[in-house]
Amino acid sequence: MAHLAMATGFLLILVGFYGALTNRNILRMIVAFSIADTGVNIVIVAVGYMRGRSAPILDSTVSAADALARIIDPVPQALVLTAIVIGVGVTALMLAYAYKLYEKKRSLDIAKFTELKW
Amino acid sequence: MVSALYLIAAALAAAFLLGLLKEQWRGAAYAVTLAALAFMIWVSAGWLWAFALEGAAPVEIFTAGAEPPFAINLRMGLAEAALTLLINLTGLLSALYLKDALSRLGRRALAVLLIAIMALCGIVLTRDVFNLFVFFELIVIATGGLVLLSDDDHALAAGFKYLIVSQVISVFLLVGIIFAYHATGTLNIDGMAGASLGLKTGGALAFFLMFIAVVAELKPFPANGWALDIYESAHPAFSAIFSAATGAAALYAVDKLLLIGGADWLPVATGIGLVTFVAANILALPQTNDRRLLGYSSIAQTGLVLAVLGQRDILGDATPYIAFGLLASHAVAKAGLYWLSGLVAGRALADWAALRNRPLLLFAFVTFICMLAGLPPFPGFYAKWELARFLAAEGRLALLALILFGALVEAGYLFRWLGYLIKREAPAAETACTPHQATAVFAAVIAGWALGFVWGDLSGRNNLLLVLPLLFALAFLLLEWLPAWTKNTLAIAGMVGWFVLTWTEYDPLRLIFAVIFLIGGAITLLASYAAHGRRIGFYPSAMLMYAGMAMLIRATDSFDFFAAWELLTVGSYFLILRGKHSEPHALSYILFSLGGAFLILAGFALAAQGAPHFDIASLGQLGQPAQPLAPWIFLLLAIGFMTKTAAIGVHIWLPGAHAEAETDVSPMVSGILLKAGLFGLFLLLMTMGRQRLYGIELTHALLWIAALTALLGNLMAIFQEDAKRLLAYSSIGQMGYALFGLALMNHLGWLMALMFVINHYIYKAMLFLSIGGVAKRTGTREMYRMGGLIRMMPLSFIPVLIGIIAVSGVPPLSGFGGRWIFYNAIMTAELRLPLVVIFLAGPIAFLYLFRLIHTIFLGQLKDEFRRVREAPFWIVLPQMIYVVLLLVFAVVPGLALRHVDAYLNRFFPEGGLGWTGPAITSSYGYWNPIAIMIVVGVIFATLLAWLLFVNRRAQKVRQFNIVFAAERPFRPETTHYAWNFFAPYRKAMGFLVQPFVTRFWETLTDLLHTAGDLARRLYDGNGQSYAFHFLAFVVAVFLLRGGV
Amino acid sequence: MIKRFIAFLLLIAIGGIFATLLIGYTPDAELNLTARYYAERTAADLGSANIVTAIVVTYRGLDTLGEVTVLFLSAAIVGLVLAGGRQRTPRPRAPVGELLTTGTRLLAPLIMLLGVYVFVNGHLTPGGGFQGGAIVASGVLLLLLADPLRHFSHGLISAIESLAGVFYVAIGLLGLLLAGGFLDNRILPIGTLGDLFSAGAIPLIYSLIGLKVGAEFASMLASLSGTEEL
Repeated sequence: MAHLAMATGFLLILVGFYGALTNRNILRMIVAFSIADTGVNIVIVAVGYMRGRSAPILDSTVSAADALARIIDPVPQALVLTAIVIGVGVTALMLAYAYKLYEKKRSLDIAKFTELKW
Repeated sequence: MVSALYLIAAALAAAFLLGLLKEQWRGAAYAVTLAALAFMIWVSAGWLWAFALEGAAPVEIFTAGAEPPFAINLRMGLAEAALTLLINLTGLLSALYLKDALSRLGRRALAVLLIAIMALCGIVLTRDVFNLFVFFELIVIATGGLVLLSDDDHALAAGFKYLIVSQVISVFLLVGIIFAYHATGTLNIDGMAGASLGLKTGGALAFFLMFIAVVAELKPFPANGWALDIYESAHPAFSAIFSAATGAAALYAVDKLLLIGGADWLPVATGIGLVTFVAANILALPQTNDRRLLGYSSIAQTGLVLAVLGQRDILGDATPYIAFGLLASHAVAKAGLYWLSGLVAGRALADWAALRNRPLLLFAFVTFICMLAGLPPFPGFYAKWELARFLAAEGRLALLALILFGALVEAGYLFRWLGYLIKREAPAAETACTPHQATAVFAAVIAGWALGFVWGDLSGRNNLLLVLPLLFALAFLLLEWLPAWTKNTLAIAGMVGWFVLTWTEYDPLRLIFAVIFLIGGAITLLASYAAHGRRIGFYPSAMLMYAGMAMLIRATDSFDFFAAWELLTVGSYFLILRGKHSEPHALSYILFSLGGAFLILAGFALAAQGAPHFDIASLGQLGQPAQPLAPWIFLLLAIGFMTKTAAIGVHIWLPGAHAEAETDVSPMVSGILLKAGLFGLFLLLMTMGRQRLYGIELTHALLWIAALTALLGNLMAIFQEDAKRLLAYSSIGQMGYALFGLALMNHLGWLMALMFVINHYIYKAMLFLSIGGVAKRTGTREMYRMGGLIRMMPLSFIPVLIGIIAVSGVPPLSGFGGRWIFYNAIMTAELRLPLVVIFLAGPIAFLYLFRLIHTIFLGQLKDEFRRVREAPFWIVLPQMIYVVLLLVFAVVPGLALRHVDAYLNRFFPEGGLGWTGPAITSSYGYWNPIAIMIVVGVIFATLLAWLLFVNRRAQKVRQFNIVFAAERPFRPETTHYAWNFFAPYRKAMGFLVQPFVTRFWETLTDLLHTAGDLARRLYDGNGQSYAFHFLAFVVAVFLLRGGV
Repeated sequence: MIKRFIAFLLLIAIGGIFATLLIGYTPDAELNLTARYYAERTAADLGSANIVTAIVVTYRGLDTLGEVTVLFLSAAIVGLVLAGGRQRTPRPRAPVGELLTTGTRLLAPLIMLLGVYVFVNGHLTPGGGFQGGAIVASGVLLLLLADPLRHFSHGLISAIESLAGVFYVAIGLLGLLLAGGFLDNRILPIGTLGDLFSAGAIPLIYSLIGLKVGAEFASMLASLSGTEEL
């Protein structure tokens, strides 16, 4: 199960990278990076998964005493939250940039923004 | 102490508070930002004080009331305190500098700046890998925002490219972190290091991903195109943060990660760092945009520090001293240069000539360039020395060679730029500089010198900034407002005073050099009274050179010697650069000199074998590990010293540098400076003596080099049309003689070399002054344009006449004495063939000197020079002193030589001279200078009387043009009889003086340039390509590591 | 074409690295050192039923502060980048329709209420400040969709954003001064496990985060909505 999720995650990362490397349209690149980010998040969550255990929340089903044996690793869950939020922040920033770039050149082709080089 | 957490809390609180202020309250928002940054500086400075001066122990800061690894913890230690101080200072100064841009963009921009600085501090402080990731992402986003401060439209695209690559990087970092967590069960850096991550399943790969992602933040070659665009297009004050502060923080992050990776990954860090250092420097060579050039240089410097971090296995406890020395030099200088670039209107390197109108800004620039180039007394110099010491001791010679090569390339473009600044046409527009901007720039200047002092203090060696001669030279910087006349008097008094203070310390050999360097220097300075105005820049440079020489002869430790060597090189470089057309020549001078200095550095480092102090005298008794390397050490040092004496092959810098220098500078750099190289060779041969390498006696090789230098130097001199160039080439030949004497390795050979040292100083200084005076009055240095000047400038003629007699080695002057000793010396020499060569060289010297008299002073006076006056008094005066000296030395050479002769008995007990009575005796005969003087004087007087008698019947000559019938002379100079005077000889021997060597060096530099120019096309400006580069970089490192 | 080929090759290599990780991966049978500590100690030490929340808000509180800062930064920069674009007058556009307008009136308050519920109960149930904040922001998005010309009070948004941030940092510092360290939640009594008012400062912090995230997202959305006329 964890392997399957992880494989999916890795695959999404590769798909995202492929998209970002081969699409010249800036918006498509941003979407591609979102896909790669999602892949990373899946990988993170998959690493914390343990078969047959429940979410790390103490309630009527999981008491504080038997938490040790019943819950999955809570750390990746906490990390993924941070990773998601950071991904959102970067994506928002890239979108704003895309808007400005389009405003400047009326084009979203990344290959058109090569004045600085060498 | 205030908890380091306040660094983060204060910045964040201030950034959030800014949102409460009205958009219009710009002043208040700016004040809040500055206050927060000032508070942060206060916190980190307090810690630095506690760690550095009170010896406090590093402090762990826990958050959330739980211990690591269960909660995030921070650490504040010496390195953290220093780095956060660096970051916060850069932040505050950049904020000051950015006042206008920040006010325009308002509180949001201020908040972004504050958060960027906070996040950089966070990277330095945190001990948790995921927390590190969070701070890195904050930097990414903040950079994305701060790039927009720029007025440059391209900044937008640069920021986006940066975001693209950052996205890819963060994917790797996150995947690496989560697997590292899985392998070790902790996110704490020390915890991971303790759990030996690399040994766990998947651990090594997880580490690889984290490592490569964090290393990517250092902009390693070739995955750095995105960073270059930011450097080029962002606001310079932001580039200063990006270069100085971000670079420092990212380096520290890599350093922390290397704790986890352990010794296995150190070579990887070194490899990446070194490739980056060398490649980025080569790529920087063809740059014309100042900010992009600085970007390449930043990348290179960061790479160097990374390479140093990777050498911690051998550097041990010295790592922080070296790494931070390099880093601090880079950070301060780069921040300063970026701030300066905001004051320069144009983006081409030559546009920086605008700074010339502002001497203080120019001084700032020079300080920064010298810091970057690792020159004394700045921290980079000490760091370089220590680094070389360790690398050589451990036999990592390829590494050392590459680092020195990279540093030389870097010096190439830095000093080329400096040359532009000082020599190119300055735009008329005044360089504007607000007080805020000036604060930032000069804070960096002060920081640079202060760091130089601190590093000297920590070095465990002589703190260069406490050495009297250097302080004396630097004091002239503060005295620049005085008139030249006063400064000249002070300079002469200082040099004579220093000699009087120290002369008892020298042995006879050193005493001769001390007299030439100090007293001789004071005499040449007399000519400087002829200059008017304030002569800004002359005295600090000249005194720096003399300070270096004064320190050189007193140095016993190899470090002191090398420091003095570099100081005299820098001083003479600035001095040479003052000449009207000397820009390219000064550049080639400094490059050859630095190249030579690096060889010397490597030689000393090899000889020391890691010993912290190495006495030059112990070159003769090398310890066991160094003993087999002795011939190599000899070779390195010999070539290093020979670049200064301009031996054939490394001579091409000399003619231009000496000929284009100012009138009073030529005698200094020719008559005096060249002797520094001879002094080095003396020391080398005195201590190491004969060495064999692959069956070749190295002194025999020197003998050959010397003979060829003498022959070719003289040959090249006779074909010159420019009088000063002629003298310059003649110096090459003369230095060949001196080297020849030394390489003979016998008593008389050395005595002769010393005699050449004295003779060459006197007559070359004299001739350069005389010819310089003539050139000053006539406005040309081309000999064929002159003629008949004996009547207008008789006083300038005397030294040339005397000089010719002295140089060509005919009786009665000291040149003959030199020859006499020389012939005695070669009678006892082992090799015959080079002797033939050097015999050949003798008469050639007469040929070129004859031209000076013949073409300049004799013959017909030209119309335009009918009103020419004698050279200025102050230029003639030293010449007359030299004439007297020469005569005295000719009559009583024993005054100087007999003590040295006795001293040389220590090295060669056999073959000394007898000094009884007026005659000097050798085993082959005797020489009585006084008798010769009388005999020759009588003959001369008789001949002169006869000539004067005959002269009455001589006819006046009217023509000097020679034109064949039906020839139409398009170039007038070709019809002058004195042009191409030795054309027949050129036909016979011209092939010998083809500029092979010049072509060789030119091809080499061209190749480097072309390589840089081709390689930089890699950075095609497309953001996607940069993502490709990064992925390729990851794969390449992965494969080179053999799949981890 | 060649670009695609190189990309393909590079990704195969990267895929190889990932595959090695995947194959070498064996799920833990037991909680590791860190997770064990959290499982055993969270309830007793911090009083938070949701262990993830305890980690996010307290143990790794510094990360979360950074995370909030990321959003703050993004919002500020998006505002900065798009500041030029908002000046021009929007083109008149077709009305959005009765259904959307009415629906919005009904749903927006409910959505926002749900958001508040989610972040206030972050220490008890799945969810928390970020999730709650995002829900609040989606209410705002709905309002923007229904009335693109609506002007949100930027003053209000930025006041919420700033105050929430300042209080967050202040509570963190109180932890440093009164309890075990920066962001320690035990400056308030930890109460009984499972109560709304328990887990010390966690609900307070998470509510501030929720407010801040909501405000951040709202401000980003408002900024981005200004770009529509391009």
